[in-house]
Amino acid sequence: MRSFSSLALRQVRARRARALLTAAGIVLGVGMILGVLLLSATINRTFSDLYDSVYGKADLIVSGSGEDSLPKSALERVQLTPGVEEAIGRVIGIFSLVERHRGKPPDPGNELNVAGQSPDAADVTDSETVAGRDPRRGREIALQESWADANEIGLGDRISLATPDGERKFDVVGLFQFSSGFEFGGEGFAVMPLASARGLLDKPRSFDEVDVIIAGGDRTIATVERRLEKRFGKGVQVETPDRKSQDIESQLQAFNAILYFFAAMALFVGGFLIFNAFNMTVLQRTREIGMLRTLGTSRRRITGSVLREAGLLGIAGATVGLGLGLGLAYALAELVRALDFPVGRLVITWWAPAVAVVTGLLTAVLGALYPARRAGRTSPVRAVLGTDGLRSQIRPRRALIGIILILVGLAGAFWLGAADETTPLVAAAGMAGTIAIFFGIAMIAPFVVRPLVRVLSWPVRVVFPVEGRLAAEAARSDPGRTASTATALLIGLALVIAVNSLGSSFLKTISDEFDQAFARDLTVQPSGLAPGQGPQQTIAGSLRDRLAKIDQAEVVARERFLFTPDLPGRKGKTESDGLLIAFDPSEYEQVDTTDIQGPPRDQVFRRMERGGVTVGEGHADEENIEVGDTLRLEGPSGQRRAPVVGIVETALFGGQTVGMSLETLRKVWGVTADTELALKAKSEAARPVLERKVRRIVRQDYPNLAVLSNDELKADVESQVNQQFGVFYAIVGVAIFASLFGIVNTLTMSVLERTREIGVLRALGATRWQIRRQVASESIVIGLIGALLGIVVGTGLGYALLQGLAAGIPGVQYRPPLATMAMVAVAGVLLGLIAAILPARRAARLDVIDAISYE
Amino acid sequence: MAPLLDDLTGALRQGLGRAGEALVSLSGTDPETEVPLEAEAAVPVAPPAPVVLEARDLTKVYGEGGAAVRALDGASIEVRRGEIVAIMGPSGSGKSTMLHMLGALETPTSGQISLGGERYDGLDDSGLTRVRRDRIGFVFQFFNLLPSLSAEENVLLPALIAGERGDAIRGRVRDLLGRVGLAGRVEHLPAEMSGGEQQRVSIARALLRDPELVLADEPTGNLDSRSSAEVLDLLRELSESEQQTVVMVTHDPGAAAIADRVIFLRDGQVAGEIEGGSRERVSEAFTALRA
Repeated sequence: MRSFSSLALRQVRARRARALLTAAGIVLGVGMILGVLLLSATINRTFSDLYDSVYGKADLIVSGSGEDSLPKSALERVQLTPGVEEAIGRVIGIFSLVERHRGKPPDPGNELNVAGQSPDAADVTDSETVAGRDPRRGREIALQESWADANEIGLGDRISLATPDGERKFDVVGLFQFSSGFEFGGEGFAVMPLASARGLLDKPRSFDEVDVIIAGGDRTIATVERRLEKRFGKGVQVETPDRKSQDIESQLQAFNAILYFFAAMALFVGGFLIFNAFNMTVLQRTREIGMLRTLGTSRRRITGSVLREAGLLGIAGATVGLGLGLGLAYALAELVRALDFPVGRLVITWWAPAVAVVTGLLTAVLGALYPARRAGRTSPVRAVLGTDGLRSQIRPRRALIGIILILVGLAGAFWLGAADETTPLVAAAGMAGTIAIFFGIAMIAPFVVRPLVRVLSWPVRVVFPVEGRLAAEAARSDPGRTASTATALLIGLALVIAVNSLGSSFLKTISDEFDQAFARDLTVQPSGLAPGQGPQQTIAGSLRDRLAKIDQAEVVARERFLFTPDLPGRKGKTESDGLLIAFDPSEYEQVDTTDIQGPPRDQVFRRMERGGVTVGEGHADEENIEVGDTLRLEGPSGQRRAPVVGIVETALFGGQTVGMSLETLRKVWGVTADTELALKAKSEAARPVLERKVRRIVRQDYPNLAVLSNDELKADVESQVNQQFGVFYAIVGVAIFASLFGIVNTLTMSVLERTREIGVLRALGATRWQIRRQVASESIVIGLIGALLGIVVGTGLGYALLQGLAAGIPGVQYRPPLATMAMVAVAGVLLGLIAAILPARRAARLDVIDAISYE
Repeated sequence: MAPLLDDLTGALRQGLGRAGEALVSLSGTDPETEVPLEAEAAVPVAPPAPVVLEARDLTKVYGEGGAAVRALDGASIEVRRGEIVAIMGPSGSGKSTMLHMLGALETPTSGQISLGGERYDGLDDSGLTRVRRDRIGFVFQFFNLLPSLSAEENVLLPALIAGERGDAIRGRVRDLLGRVGLAGRVEHLPAEMSGGEQQRVSIARALLRDPELVLADEPTGNLDSRSSAEVLDLLRELSESEQQTVVMVTHDPGAAAIADRVIFLRDGQVAGEIEGGSRERVSEAFTALRA
């Protein structure tokens, strides 16, 4: 040993196993942070690569906002604008590959993004033809080589693709590849001639976008951009490809923020474990520290030594965590891909590991701060006295601070829920609020441990009277220690409950609305329909006509959805995203019974036929829109003023909706294709017949569409919500796993403290199994305390978040996730049992003589 | 065995010479008027050594008001260079408290303590820390050593704390370990040594920075008779050959016997003092004290 500073290293090496346990939380937390950082970097890079590849050579993109279309005349108008060197008009759609073996519905992750453009037009993509030639006529198509390879398609093959107009065959005349080697998950890209695309996508008179190549530098581009904006007016967007990808990235911010939040929670648990472990270690080493003080070590150096130990553990844990994090990143990317969210190859940045390590180190040091200061305060007399008379005083003032923290935290959570946008500030406030709640609970917990132990140990005492009683004594003897161990566990469990209660409340609300508002019998929609996640497939008019001719069909109502990042308001575009829903009012009346505030229903629908609009409750509340107000609708095809004829009480899309007639949507946004068909049978008896016929038609000719009964529709929505939450549960699971290590650490300390007691018990005739049961009982009690407190905190947190969210989405009611609560309680018992395995074995194996004479 | 016998006879000789004084002082008579028993055979008396440690009217009160406990109530002692002084007393007599005060572990409620003429009763924590680091060596009853460090590293500790480094210090460490008879245990961990060996390492550590005063709190309390003898021999040797000043708290008359003087405490005050040297005499005095 070369200097006093190296004492810290020696202490760590001397108790390697214990150090490992202590650092486990840091390992997992850092791993999680790195995993999430890499995942979000990958997602961001995927989308910026997307724009670089697909729009590599374009300087400007002229389009509607979202998924809407420009009129045919737009191309010429762009071409005539000074400064424009070339203008290429495109229509865009999504086809799916039809499997060779029939009967299998197409895989939504395997879709083909198809661009139809004139064969003579210049190429704006950053790609090269690898084989064959450009498609010129009819059903010729050129595919991205990597997608073709992945689906075993070669040059010259004839393939079947499901298009909105039905299943069609295409000849693969060319293969191309992006120079960046860009991969979009499992999705692929294709090019085909404009004329055929128009027919298949049912867009005879529109363009989805016009890409512009400009001769000149940035300043020229900016000038032309302004010119185009002036020429086209409000409904049309003119953007550089960079800006467009930034727009998407900012939409991903919310998802990113939530991921960071959960990863930060995992790391927070790690910090808690450090706090607990070092508290115990400092107590255990009281005599040693006192002795160092008698040798003349100053307080500051003792504190520094403890902090140094924590720092070493932090670095060691963080380093191991990096390896784990890499694996987690791969796993998360796979998980996200399984949710049909396309991400490219994993991106490994240099700064992500640095951030993860620094965060881990900071957490370790911060966690050890309080114990280090306590160590410094050790009086040298402790060298002689040891821990006699050294009982941690539980000051009532801490409970007060704890309660205040909880209240502040709940307010923060409420604010997070109520915020319109998840800006970084809001996310930070929400995170701080949640952490405040957990700190508050940690401060209050020691006070409630004693009564809680008495109550929760009752089941154990019933089954094992003696062991249970001793275990309860053990848990009660150091309430501070029991409390902080249980707190580490409750963090993960509380998050599970909070997130789950959000999910179940939403699902209940939507399910109720479905039950109440649905007067339809059957729904036909494209598989994997998810408005808001990019371009969606559509349904050709010909199918609708066929279905309408079925005898048993009373009505086949058309619905057209358009996701837009700026819902119309009284003064034009607002900042909220939402859904435009268009239908034929006389058809829709028959399949929908959602409550509408305002005039009686039939009047509402009549007025909609004449150009009026309805507004969803959420949007109306946010923008102060009432019946009788006028909205300004601005789209790429035109502009209109429309009177608001009703407010719809819906939770769909968070109540951020605007409803209108099909004609209004077409006139302003140029949408002419159906997104969904809602069917109603003529009678109860006719229903099964109708269903059979519809399913047959769709299965035969439109393999990319799905037919759903009402129950299936509900289940579909449920599974979508659950899938998204799946990612969060995965991360929280890691936090819970980390807290297991905390319990093991605590139990080991407890056994060590009670060595003599255990020796006496064994000398009096207790069997090894009885000793094991005692340790296991203590662990179960801790687990139950963690579960109970977790349920309480999680319920409170979930309620606060929901109340905040419900401020914008009326009708959402809190529904306690009872099933999850039961599972959490069981989890508490199970986790306690698992954590007790090793310490119980050690306790049982103590030699009786050694134990009795243990000082 | 032989060195032990030498020491015993030496102690006996000294003790016999002072026996008379001791008995007289216990009964309250002034010893200076008495004639020494073996005047002709008396060894020429060196000039008295300088006072190293002086404590006046030490008082320590714990708690407040009705629950106040007076652990020390106006005790005074004086220790000269090279002396071994033993402090004995029944439990509750305040001997441990006295040791804590002397060792700069705690500050007295009132009274003065000085080491080498410099007071340290009123110093703040940093001041006390420095005193402990540079001027006092401590040996405890048990749990002296850091379990994760070897004997050599344990002895090295005070130097590292003081920021000293280098080969000179390492050499001194090895010398000290050799001095206490543990040259072969340099690399061993405390768990690999007997109680007596651990105590000897502690003594080596206490001596590393050449302290003015070594304080020992029941150094043989946890040892068997043979290990006790080893440790006590060592202390005696250090006092004689190196003029090391030692103050020892003990309840064991055999340990107190190696001291030059034995001070008795009762109820927080000095109740008497005898010359050391004879185990039986110390026992008797101790019993008499309790009566």
